[in-house]
Amino acid sequence: MHQRTVPCQGYFAPQKIEKALEIFSRYREEIKVIAGGTDLLIQYYDRLYEVGTWLDLKNIKELKEIKIHQNQMEIGAMVTHTQLEKSEDIKKYFPILSQAAADIGSPQIRNRGTIGGNIINASPAGDLLAPLMAYDAQFKLLSVQKEALISAEEFFIGPKKTILEPAQLLTGIILPLPSERTFGCWIKIGKRKALIIATITLALVVEMAEDNKTVKDVRTCLGSVAPTPIEVKEVREKMIGKNFNHLDFNQLGQIVEDKISPIDDIRGTREYRKDVAKNIMINALEEIDSAWRSHK
Amino acid sequence: MSKLMIELTINGKKRKVETTPSTRLLDLIRDDLHLTGTKEGCGKGECGACTVIMNGELVTSCLILAPQADGAVITTIEGVGDGENLDPVQEAFIETGAVQCGFCTPGMILAAKKLLEENPHPTEEEIKRGISGNLCRCTGYQKIFDAIKLAANRLSTRDGGRGEKDA
Repeated sequence: MHQRTVPCQGYFAPQKIEKALEIFSRYREEIKVIAGGTDLLIQYYDRLYEVGTWLDLKNIKELKEIKIHQNQMEIGAMVTHTQLEKSEDIKKYFPILSQAAADIGSPQIRNRGTIGGNIINASPAGDLLAPLMAYDAQFKLLSVQKEALISAEEFFIGPKKTILEPAQLLTGIILPLPSERTFGCWIKIGKRKALIIATITLALVVEMAEDNKTVKDVRTCLGSVAPTPIEVKEVREKMIGKNFNHLDFNQLGQIVEDKISPIDDIRGTREYRKDVAKNIMINALEEIDSAWRSHK
Repeated sequence: MSKLMIELTINGKKRKVETTPSTRLLDLIRDDLHLTGTKEGCGKGECGACTVIMNGELVTSCLILAPQADGAVITTIEGVGDGENLDPVQEAFIETGAVQCGFCTPGMILAAKKLLEENPHPTEEEIKRGISGNLCRCTGYQKIFDAIKLAANRLSTRDGGRGEKDA
């Protein structure tokens, strides 16, 4: 594809990360970084004139790549939801990330919106965030001075708030490749299928030990139930080291219900969310149960 | 605000346009290129009235800045059909009565075209997902599904769907 970079005071579209970082550190708060624009341009819908200068990451090729090296995958921050949905590698190693991407917005939104944008926007309802947390993702943050790797759990500190520093760019997402005995389930609840902000999301990832019946690790991550995406860690002690056949799904669902503290808002009440959280946890465990049985 | 020149290929024609960094692609298409078939509905990417095909992908032009489309190849509703003859998807929309007020129709037709290009024999569920980014508030969706099914049938015949008329 022919790509030009228009030199203009109000708009930069560099081809190299180094150049982007340099521009970002020069303009800092004066510049708005734009990826897919599917959240940003809605936020600025009636005040686009307020943005003095844009830093568009569209021409940086390496940010659009999905790479596997050794036992890790690195997903570039500009990888779109459509790419996540269709990538064979993502479907193979991180199926619920692919499924969550397929549930975002509409074809038009998935073609533009990016994984990096979904993370930086840091909505408590961001569809990719619970799956990323469940797969133990780390975010690669670059500035002119330094490179940092931060876990998803540390990165989000409130609704639309992250620890990102001025002039720091999210360039990639690092995911450890899971073992073959890893099973996941993704559930999104919303008022319609397309273009809906989730009322609640659940990403459950269970890893079995080598005997293929003992639970080795588990991550129970939810969106839209707290100021940030969260993990219900109490599930771990009830599952790790236990035989999957002997688990009490109802009790595990109850733990999720008890440990979350959602709010009432236009998408659902606190009570509704707690109720649904329990039920989707049970459904997710049942789904993993049947996937695991057919895998044996 | 500073000005800049962008160059894009729209409906097969190369165009150079002067714009600003915060002009939306939708406004550039409508106000600068006078291609008013592309509509503005919600302005927030939810209704699909401003849908165009950019670099082979379905996008909402209200959520794209004009300079982001620099170098892009774009098809709007004016680029569908050859000027003399309608596209089979357009014909199918007319024949099944899938056009009432017409405001969603340009975006609907582009979404339908893109869907059929990627998936020539979609199921009803796949049709629903393919046009899930396009809202219609008056025709009703059933006739739109019927139109897309008719177009799929026409397109799968070798003569590109004009067989019945030309015969």
